[in-house]
Amino acid sequence: MSRRYDSRTTIFSPEGRLYQVEYAMEAIGNAGSALGILAADGVVLVGEKKVTSKLLQTSRSAEKMYKIDSHVSCAVAGIMSDANILINTARLHAQRYALSYQEPIPVEQLVQSLCDTKQGYTQFGGLRPFGVSFLFAGWDKHHGFQLYMSDPSGNYGGWKAAAVGANSQAAQSMLKQDYKDGLTREEAVALALKVLSKTMDSTSLTAEKLELAEVFLQPGTGEVQYQVCSPDALGKLLSKAGLTQPAPEA
Amino acid sequence: MVGKNCFAIASDRRLGVQLQTIATDFQRVFKIHDKLYIGLSGLATDAQTLYQRLVFRHKLYQLREERDMKPETFASLVSAMLYERRFGPYFCQPVIAGLGENDEPFICTMDCIGAKELAKDFVVSGTSSESLYGACESMYKPNMEPEELFETVSQALMASVDRDCLAGWGGHVFIVTPTEVQERVVKGRMD
Repeated sequence: MSRRYDSRTTIFSPEGRLYQVEYAMEAIGNAGSALGILAADGVVLVGEKKVTSKLLQTSRSAEKMYKIDSHVSCAVAGIMSDANILINTARLHAQRYALSYQEPIPVEQLVQSLCDTKQGYTQFGGLRPFGVSFLFAGWDKHHGFQLYMSDPSGNYGGWKAAAVGANSQAAQSMLKQDYKDGLTREEAVALALKVLSKTMDSTSLTAEKLELAEVFLQPGTGEVQYQVCSPDALGKLLSKAGLTQPAPEA
Repeated sequence: MVGKNCFAIASDRRLGVQLQTIATDFQRVFKIHDKLYIGLSGLATDAQTLYQRLVFRHKLYQLREERDMKPETFASLVSAMLYERRFGPYFCQPVIAGLGENDEPFICTMDCIGAKELAKDFVVSGTSSESLYGACESMYKPNMEPEELFETVSQALMASVDRDCLAGWGGHVFIVTPTEVQERVVKGRMD
């Protein structure tokens, strides 16, 4: 019976649901997961890379993490092509703000503007919603370090720890149990890797399947740094946490 | 001015409205990235706006291409942006200096509607440009080390602005090598 109400995005169902938006979230549930944790001295983002063929020649340095501006970055879960469009929009928006006001855009404003764009695709135009969920991590002088999660409906929220993508429910409940206020970045990284290792489908956890990025303040200059962990460093972190398992025989 | 594996970019520090001096610490040379600087002479508001717009474009370039812009590319960008306003131009003459591939020094200047002028030795712009051309021509030597380059640039700048009532109040000199940037304020005739 619900069939009649899901072909157009701009129609409510009798139960008051927007089916296209929910189907978009389904699509994200099949994509590689991403986790974000807010620490006292930074924000940690971890992503699971779904496509790890040996034949893949990555031109970009990162598949799940993107820098939006020098003080804001994001992790992505969902349809990559949709994500690219939104990331471009976010980058332009951040720069336009900086051009007009000559100061970096506050993180929440950036998230809000992007979510306004996403909402537009659920109300008018007859176009389908974006099949992407984001985890935004950033710092600004008003609220310090922040983590936001946004989904295809255009809703967003500030979180201390959040997960999107495959098995995000399981990851979220695990985070709820283990998260403590005032974690350091190192502890947050360890927690993120532990949670991800439990929720990821694959049998072995190697550095190639993960991406790790941290947003923190440079100790000397106080500038916001966005650092993607190198595969070697990531491998070391995994073995330190006792999470590496031998890779399957090729 | 080009030196040996380095370059210098310098400006005076006066901001004035005809005969009145408004500021004596006005910044005219801006950094785009560690190995690329642009000096903008002419109308102050246009210089500031043009710089802010260039930062906008460069930041987006950096995010998308995940690298800094090469000086030659940047010069083309500035030229295109100036020509976009062909019939209502920015009243600015930029001087662009950077270290390109293999840290080769690159300098160029252009007029206010984007006519690029590449040079191997030095480029100048501003109200004292004629004096600067003369001073640089006589003082320039190829392959100067950073220290000597600093001396030469400072002397040429000070000598030229001294004969120009609209320029002066000291100089601001940047010496850029592949490893570091030295920024110095030169004290000259404070008039």
